[in-house]
Amino acid sequence: MTSEEPAKRPASYWGAVLSDVHFWIPAIVLLGGLLVLHWIQ
Amino acid sequence: MTVGGNASSATGGPADGTRLQQLQALGMLCGFSAGAWLGAAEAPTKLVTAGVSPMVVSLLMVAGVFLARWSLPALVRGTAQIRADFHAAPHLVIWGVLAGCLWAVANTLTIFAIRDIGLSIAFPLWNLNSLLGILWGVTLFRELRGAGKLRWLGVTGGAAVMFAGATLLAVASSAQTTPSHALRGIVAALGAGVLWGTMYIPYRKAYLTGMNPLSFVAFFTIGELGMMSALAISYSGGAAGLAREIGHAKPALFWLMLGGFVWVIGDVFQQYAAKYVGISRGIPLSNTNQLWGLMWGILVFGEFHGQSGATLARVVAGSLLMAAGAGAIALASVSQGEHERWRKAAQREGVRYGVAEGYLRAGLEGREAESNSSGKKGRNWLDWVLVLGATAIFLWLASAAHAPQIAMNWTAAGVLCVAMLAFLLASAIALQKVTKFQ
Repeated sequence: MTSEEPAKRPASYWGAVLSDVHFWIPAIVLLGGLLVLHWIQ
Repeated sequence: MTVGGNASSATGGPADGTRLQQLQALGMLCGFSAGAWLGAAEAPTKLVTAGVSPMVVSLLMVAGVFLARWSLPALVRGTAQIRADFHAAPHLVIWGVLAGCLWAVANTLTIFAIRDIGLSIAFPLWNLNSLLGILWGVTLFRELRGAGKLRWLGVTGGAAVMFAGATLLAVASSAQTTPSHALRGIVAALGAGVLWGTMYIPYRKAYLTGMNPLSFVAFFTIGELGMMSALAISYSGGAAGLAREIGHAKPALFWLMLGGFVWVIGDVFQQYAAKYVGISRGIPLSNTNQLWGLMWGILVFGEFHGQSGATLARVVAGSLLMAAGAGAIALASVSQGEHERWRKAAQREGVRYGVAEGYLRAGLEGREAESNSSGKKGRNWLDWVLVLGATAIFLWLASAAHAPQIAMNWTAAGVLCVAMLAFLLASAIALQKVTKFQ
């Protein structure tokens, strides 16, 4: 395989995303932001 | 010079020192340009916000952002390149949408914060996002690892000095405002800072993976407009209520959307800064926007007219501290060792999501991946429709806009605009020359 060829794709994109801490930190902060906005309103 | 022919790069090793220095200088220049344009983005909104609800202000700015974020990339690179980026790393669409949602909520919080405690106090509070950006950069993306004590000191010390300068400016500016609902405003400003500081996680993830900033912002804006529309409809009592509010704000539409457009230019430079110097350096540099905002306030809108000598001394001291902090960060260049850690963080992304190694490496080295360059180049009919459509909408809104009914120093405004254009030209030429907008 050359370096330009795609690497092996994950069996499940959603599985890879949902087990990634890079997803959960922004998701939790977003939820917190919506709660703050609701409180302010 | 291109990196494609570099032997060490071709074998997956680190990019050469000269190339790293070029990318470093480019990232720093983009960081300073971002500060100039982001600082000016608040100026058009200052002309018109009276009588318009915070939700409508935010939604209309986002509408301007949406137009700019599709038309500018179409003009610079063409939508075919966006499609190629999507095929190379489709998982990043999720992070683009997530980042857009974070931005929309943060921007709405800032409008409530400005209403409750004033721009001058709210601004430094939400600019704490740069400290959070450093934390995420170090813990999640291996930034500053292997950088040496001096560079650590340069970045963290520079960010701390900038924060001290921002606080001094806030103290000076508080003479301008009579804060009401202080707790609510402070929580809103801090909340915006946390949301924006965390938004840099998706940014950094995208650029470590090799995505072009002009592609990422296109995905970003879908989350941004979707979230902002949902919030505006919800808080306006339904779509009909929102339409009524927008109808009442018709004379202000152009100025608010212009603010969004100006903001996008600053944000695009911020994205390139995050790509080439990381979020721990790029975000504090773009936070020099507070200095630019202050210059617009003092020189154009005469905000400090008649203030005491002590207040003006605080403004000068705060501005000097912010400039010194930015200078310290600019001098804390990325070493070969630290760049190697970035490459390892990028490899983690590649293995996890199946991204081609060549695509990852090309992104880090600021060149186009071969998989992208083999595709169709140039602009197609869709690109021209996007560019002409956005231009027509802005011209139509401008024809219905009312001239600002506020005292302004037009000479100072002209000088600041020339300075912004100089940053724009210098950064655009450098981006084209060094990376061809990669």
